[in-house]
Amino acid sequence: MNAALQQVKKPTPHVPGEVGIWVFILGDMVIFGLFFIVFVYYRGLNVELYTQSQATLNQNYGAINTLFLLASSWFVAMAVDDMRNKTVKLAPVFFPLAMLCGLGFGVVKIIEYSEKLGAGITITSNDFYMYYYIFTGLHFLHVLIGMGVLVFLWHRARLAAKHALTRDAAVIDKDMVLIESGASYWHMVDLLWIVLFPLLYLMK
Amino acid sequence: MNTKAQLFCAWCGVGFLVFFTIGWWFIAGYIPPMSPAMSANEVAAFYQENTGLIRLGMVITMFSAALSAPWVAAIAVQLKRIEGDFPALTYALLVAGAVGVVVLVVPPMVWTTAAFRPERSPELTLLLNDFAWLFFVMTFSPFFIQNLVIGLAVFSDKADAPIFPRWVGYFNIWVAILLIPGGLITFFKTGPFAWDGILAFWLPLLVFFGWFVVMFPLLLKAIKQQALLAEPK
Repeated sequence: MNAALQQVKKPTPHVPGEVGIWVFILGDMVIFGLFFIVFVYYRGLNVELYTQSQATLNQNYGAINTLFLLASSWFVAMAVDDMRNKTVKLAPVFFPLAMLCGLGFGVVKIIEYSEKLGAGITITSNDFYMYYYIFTGLHFLHVLIGMGVLVFLWHRARLAAKHALTRDAAVIDKDMVLIESGASYWHMVDLLWIVLFPLLYLMK
Repeated sequence: MNTKAQLFCAWCGVGFLVFFTIGWWFIAGYIPPMSPAMSANEVAAFYQENTGLIRLGMVITMFSAALSAPWVAAIAVQLKRIEGDFPALTYALLVAGAVGVVVLVVPPMVWTTAAFRPERSPELTLLLNDFAWLFFVMTFSPFFIQNLVIGLAVFSDKADAPIFPRWVGYFNIWVAILLIPGGLITFFKTGPFAWDGILAFWLPLLVFFGWFVVMFPLLLKAIKQQALLAEPK
């Protein structure tokens, strides 16, 4: 019995993508975590100012953008799943759909920024808006990089769909490392927003 | 093989850190950083009270800055091994590293100018102090490019035994992005994004220091690996 149990090999834990991307993702999340702690600390020193300024933000924009990113993450997840098959069908469609959601996020963000700037609210207006512009701005930079990553994943998906005949296990494995790395990055962008949204728009 | 020359250049990176810390921190006392919210009289008093130490510290800091040149050159040699005959990223690293020396040399010269005539009008000392700090903390761009091209070059290494492991590529790009908040200091006199703030000063400083600590052993390893490969069989 014992011998039999010992023969059952422990499954090697699967790390999505290449290990190196997690240096970047975890590193980035530590930094954003530090940003959030700094924000909550300074907010605690002057809650009134923060809640007053927060009331001027348009929660609808924040909520729509949350939906955009959640939807795009779902498209990416479905596309990644599809890439594991020998015959790739959905991924060349789902990656562009994910990019469309990312584009929607960007359009809403630009409308939001221009409304605020039009009302004379800038990065130096007060501490809340300093964090608002810097945090959402840095996050937006991540979205832009992510859009580039998605273009690359889309390109790989189209190649995979085209060369279904020669797509053996080795080719799929090699593809998956790239695809999962890119997808993991995109999920991180989504995750950061999911923390950023309540922190800036909703926190009471 | 010029292993010894390469090792010398790599060790210059350590020299840079050591001398910079001694001159800028221990002798001149710029850590913790002065607040951008200080008045002209407070700033002038700092230079009047620490005149001699600042002058001495800045000589050492200015000297240390140039030690980053051989350090960057040592990294560039290893990138050239990855890139081969048309090393665009290596050249980009060298140019950015050269500009980086300037960015590290100019602020000590301005700080020492402030300490040169401590009796002058406080307003003028304030101006020099502002200039030195802004130049020093805000100019992230050459270091951003430096880390970015190292990252890209590491990714382009398709060899079975790569010269740097791939996570080093991601690490360098992460460092590049972390240096960006320094660019925000022009907007603020207080808070985390001021030039003495946790996110614009302490975080990039720590990351820049950490970058040396991570890259140094990897660089030594790459140089030694290259020496082994070159040995006659």
